[in-house]
Amino acid sequence: MDKNNTELALLPSGFADLLPPDAEEEARAITLLMKHFAAFGYHRVKPPLLEFEDSLLAPGPGARMAPDTFRLMDPVSHRMLGLRPDITPQIARIASSRLCKEPRPLRLTYASDVLRTRASQLRTRRQFCQVGCEIIGDGTIDTDVEICMLALIGLKDLGLKNITLDLNIPGFAARLTDGKMTEDMKSAIRQRNQDALAASDIPAAKTIAKAMQAAGPAKTALPALQKLELPEALTKDIDILSQLCSQLEAAINDLALTGISLTIDILDQDGFEYHKGLGFTLFSPHIGGELGRGGCYEVQFGESDPPETARGFTLYMDTIGKAATPPSAPPKLLAVPSSEKWTTLQDLQNQGWTILRGAPDHNCTHRYDSGKITPIE
Amino acid sequence: MSAQTEQNLILAVPKGRILKELMPLLQACDIIPEPDFSDDNSRKLRFSTNHPGLDIIRVRAFDVATFVAYGGAHLGVVGSDALEEFDYSEIYAPLDLGIGKCRLSVAMPEEDAKTEDPARWSHIRIATKYPSLTARHFARRGVQAECIKLNGAMEIAPMLGLARRIVDLVSTGSTLKANQMAEVEKILDVSSRLIVNRSAIKTMPEQINAWIEKFRTASASRNAA
Repeated sequence: MDKNNTELALLPSGFADLLPPDAEEEARAITLLMKHFAAFGYHRVKPPLLEFEDSLLAPGPGARMAPDTFRLMDPVSHRMLGLRPDITPQIARIASSRLCKEPRPLRLTYASDVLRTRASQLRTRRQFCQVGCEIIGDGTIDTDVEICMLALIGLKDLGLKNITLDLNIPGFAARLTDGKMTEDMKSAIRQRNQDALAASDIPAAKTIAKAMQAAGPAKTALPALQKLELPEALTKDIDILSQLCSQLEAAINDLALTGISLTIDILDQDGFEYHKGLGFTLFSPHIGGELGRGGCYEVQFGESDPPETARGFTLYMDTIGKAATPPSAPPKLLAVPSSEKWTTLQDLQNQGWTILRGAPDHNCTHRYDSGKITPIE
Repeated sequence: MSAQTEQNLILAVPKGRILKELMPLLQACDIIPEPDFSDDNSRKLRFSTNHPGLDIIRVRAFDVATFVAYGGAHLGVVGSDALEEFDYSEIYAPLDLGIGKCRLSVAMPEEDAKTEDPARWSHIRIATKYPSLTARHFARRGVQAECIKLNGAMEIAPMLGLARRIVDLVSTGSTLKANQMAEVEKILDVSSRLIVNRSAIKTMPEQINAWIEKFRTASASRNAA
């Protein structure tokens, strides 16, 4: 490549070519997850890449994504369009419009790329693939368990050894202070500085400090949270959290899944602005980022209709790619002369060979010659 | 960001002034680095400690925040000035260690300070190591701050006509005085914090919380003394 061609290879920051075997690995992971979600009765949908900005960023799951959205002007309608930064808002739109007459609960799944204007510390990529499930119109704890378990089983299937499911209650601090949080309190919560909160004169700040201290494994966090003096609605949420944890533990034991930790950090609020009830984030040790997130939210289309309750999760395939273990068996690649019949190729493929027509290249492990297969040294 | 393969916890500490104040605290936490750590001539970058599961890295103060934010180090000690400058979402700062105390202030030549009314500013030029923090601070007051990033010796900037104002760390104020400059506004009280990576505390809560508690106890008894 001359200098000019080398420069042509430059991609904008946050974008990358996915090459072999990474592209194959991601496709394999998506296929595996889709099969697994379909087996639980989730139906796949495929929303478009572009939508009108006002529906993509309508109040609800999409509203907070406005600063992350690439926009362009539609030369046909002269309206502003947005490139989806997240798929959940699109699922919410589909569920409340075109599929509003479908019986509830409605189970939908998806696997598609999203684009974001800003990279973050968690993610230097501005394009990545989201795979997820949403269940709309059923707000029972059974669906909470189902959503968490689908995510966990899916990740285990992909070969992740250790997974942490970290639960939170979105808006906990805001509800405890009736929305009257000072900037100092917000920053202390964001930094997890419990000493600063405990020293505050505001009684709610002291309670938040105790909730912060409780953060950790569910086994120790729950008893500490249950001791807090909280308004009735929040006590109820802690109660649901506790039920969810014990049902999840039972399910994990039932399947004999290993390497899964349940933790609670009730104050993990960033990015859960549109959630109601419970939220969760998935982590894996020594992978600097989130594997996915999920939780409960409300779907509303049109101001007159009552909101529907929904829950779901999204897995981030770029982070998962760093944590998943690829299959260990190396591919067996068979060099077959181009003169061989196509039925012969088909027979060999049916026997499990990956075939390469023509002269053997450096990747071939075996050679086919007049009916005989010999290994290549 | 690549996956961390080693299972050891890594504590990032800043080189220089703060490290001197930090050493007694590390000792109180029963963290004893290998001898090379205190040897300024050592080319080593990563040091083992008396705890087989804990290593220490010694890097520039601003880099402590970067290493912890990206998960390269799990724990770190860094000034609140660096935390405010970067505003990293992946860093928790659970503990004020009460060391490395100073303040971040706006300063300008003494003669300007006597005649200028800051309320009339709409655009100012500032030499600083903290461009993001400075711009945010002045934006809140409706002033556009054009920041020129310098890495040290800020006080020389007004003299050479680079910028009439600077934003810099002040502890005694003697450097400012020596350069005929006056401190006109405090932006931030600075002290060193124990910081942790968000993903690390989620996936290894017991280990990380145990270290936070050790530092809490050590720093409380030091501040009480």
